[in-house]
Amino acid sequence: MNKLSVFLLLAAVSVLAACSDVKRKPGTVYMPDMAYSRAYESYSDNSNLTAKNINYTARPVAGTISREEELPFHIAMDAAGDTTNYTAAKGVINPITSMSPVETKEAERLYLVNCAVCHGANLKGNGPLYKDGAGPYPAKPASLVGDAKYENMPAGQMFYSVAYGKNLMGSYASQLSRKQRWMVIKYIKDKQLEGNAAATAVADTTAMK
Amino acid sequence: MLSLKRLTRLGFSILIFAGFFSGNTVIAQDGKTLFQTNCASCHQVHKKLTGPALAGVEDRWPNKKNLYSWIRNSAAFLKTGDAYANNLYNEYNKVAMNQFTALTDKEIDALLGYIKSVPAPGTGPTGGGAAVGAPAEEGDNTLLFGVLTLILAVVALTLLQVNSNLRKMADEKEGINPEKPVSFFRNKRNIAFLAVILFLVGGYFTTQGAMNLGRSTDYQPVQPIYYSHKVHAGVNQINCQYCHTGVYQGKQATIPSVNICMNCHLAINEYKGEKMYTEDGKEVDGTAEIKKLYKYAGFVEGKPWDANNAKPIEWVRIHNLPDHVYFNHAQHVKAGQVQCQTCHGEIQKMGEVKQFSNLSMGWCVNCHRETKVQFKDNGFYSIYEKYHQDLKSGKMDSTKGVTVEKIGGTECQKCHY
Repeated sequence: MNKLSVFLLLAAVSVLAACSDVKRKPGTVYMPDMAYSRAYESYSDNSNLTAKNINYTARPVAGTISREEELPFHIAMDAAGDTTNYTAAKGVINPITSMSPVETKEAERLYLVNCAVCHGANLKGNGPLYKDGAGPYPAKPASLVGDAKYENMPAGQMFYSVAYGKNLMGSYASQLSRKQRWMVIKYIKDKQLEGNAAATAVADTTAMK
Repeated sequence: MLSLKRLTRLGFSILIFAGFFSGNTVIAQDGKTLFQTNCASCHQVHKKLTGPALAGVEDRWPNKKNLYSWIRNSAAFLKTGDAYANNLYNEYNKVAMNQFTALTDKEIDALLGYIKSVPAPGTGPTGGGAAVGAPAEEGDNTLLFGVLTLILAVVALTLLQVNSNLRKMADEKEGINPEKPVSFFRNKRNIAFLAVILFLVGGYFTTQGAMNLGRSTDYQPVQPIYYSHKVHAGVNQINCQYCHTGVYQGKQATIPSVNICMNCHLAINEYKGEKMYTEDGKEVDGTAEIKKLYKYAGFVEGKPWDANNAKPIEWVRIHNLPDHVYFNHAQHVKAGQVQCQTCHGEIQKMGEVKQFSNLSMGWCVNCHRETKVQFKDNGFYSIYEKYHQDLKSGKMDSTKGVTVEKIGGTECQKCHY
C-alpha cells in the first residue's frame, strides 16, 4: 500500500512538471453569457447583421461633423502621379490661428506621440526609428526645423500630407482628427518661427560684435 | 647630410600622402551629408524606397551630363523625351523628383562618390546577432522541493514504523501484553488525520479553482501575426498611444487599424533586429511576419498602396471584462494619469502579450483604495470643492492625499450599472 502511494505521488509530480506553463487557452468561465457579452460591443463581429435584416452601419452618415471638430478639408487626394491637388492645398489656411498654453501642450503631446518617432522630438528629422540610419526606418524623415523646404511649406500643403500621406509617410487621418492635425501643424509652424527667431537673434549678436 | 635629405624627402611624401588621404575623406564626408540632407528621404543606396536604389547609378546613365541635368531638374529633363528617364518615371508611379538646381557639379560628384563608397549590405561585418530574449533556462525549484519533501516523508514514515516496532519489542520483553495490532488504515487516529489533511488540501484547491473561473491571468494566445511589443514599444520606442489612439479619448484603447501598421511598414519591409522567439521557444522570422501584414493590407511591394484593399486582422482578444462591468480607458489614462504598465505589466518587454493582472473585482477595488488621484492642477476634479477647502485648511492630510475611494471610486454604481 505504501509503495503504491509513493508511486502515485511521483507520477503526479512528474505530470505537473511536464506541463508547459504557457497558457494558450483563456480558461473556463461560469456563465459565459455574462463573461462574453451577448450584446454587440466594440470589436465584436457584426458581419452577420445584414443577414439578420438588421440595419447597421459602423460609419457615420457622409458629411457628419462631430462636435468641436474643424470643418472638412475639401481637397481630395491626388491620383497616382498627379500633383494638382497637392499644389492646390497650398491655398488652404490653418483655421487655428493661435493656441493657448494648454492647447500648445496638447499639440506638443500629439506631436510627440504621433510624429516624434520619425521626425524627432526636436523636429530635426532624426527620431528613434531613424537614428541617423541605424534605426529600422530606411528613409530619412523630413527635418521640419532648419530645412527651407519645410519652413516655407504652407500649412495647407502640410495638412494634405498628414491627411493623405506623402511619399513614404502614411496617412494619419485615422490617428488624428482634423482639429488635432491642424493643431500639430500649428505647433510645427510655431517651432519653425521660434527656430528662425533664435537664429536671427544669434546673427544679431554676432553682428553686434 | 645624406640622411637629413632622405628624412625630409620621407617627411614630404608622408605629408603629401596624408593630405591626399584627408582630402579624400572630406569629399566622402561631404557626400554623406549632402546625401542625408537632399536624397535620403526618398532614396537609399541599396534599397528601393520612393525612388530607386542608387547603387550603380553611374553605370545606368552613360552620359554624365544627362545625369547631372536629371538630378538638378528632372521635370525639365523628362521633356527632352529621354526614353530611359521616362521609363523610370513611369516605373516609380510618376512620382516627380524634387528639383536640386543649387547643386554644383562638384557636389553631385561628391554625392556619387559617397554612393559608390557604401558597401552592399551583407558584405560588411554585421553586428552580433546575439540571441536576446531567448527563452532563459530559469531553474524551476518546485520539482526539487517536491522530491525532497517526498523523501523526507518516506524517511519520517519509516522512522515511525521503526519506533513502533521497537516499542512493541520492548513491551514484549517486559511482559506487558501487547495490544492487538491495528492495521495502519484502520487506526482511527490515522483516519482522522488523513481526513483533515484531505479536507484542507481539497478545500484549498477547490476555492482557488472556483475563484479563478473566469479569470485568465497569464492568458497568452497565439496571434495571427507575431507582433512583438518588445520590438515596437521597447526597442524602437514607439509611444503606446501611437497605435492605441483611443486610449486617451474613449472607453476602448482601440486595436490599431492596418493603416496604422502600414504607416511605418510601407517602408520597413524587413526585420533586422535581434532574434525573436515565441513563448514556446521557437524562433520567429520577423520579415515573414511583415509579409503576413502585407497580405492583410493587400499591399504589393513597389506599387502604391490602396488602403481600400486592406482586410482587418483578427487579433485574439486577451483582456475581457464581464458584460456587467464598465471600464473606461480615458478615465484612467487621461484623468487618472495611470501608466499602461500598472495594469498591463511591462508590456514593452513582452514578445507575446499576456494578461498580467487577474482583472478581478478585488484587484480593482484594492487599487481604488490605495491610489491617490492627481487632485492638484487637474480640471477633472475641480468639482470636489469641499475636499479642496479641507486640503487648504489642513483638515485633510495633504500628504495622504485624496484616494479614488474618497471620490466614490468604490461605490457599486460607478462600475456596475
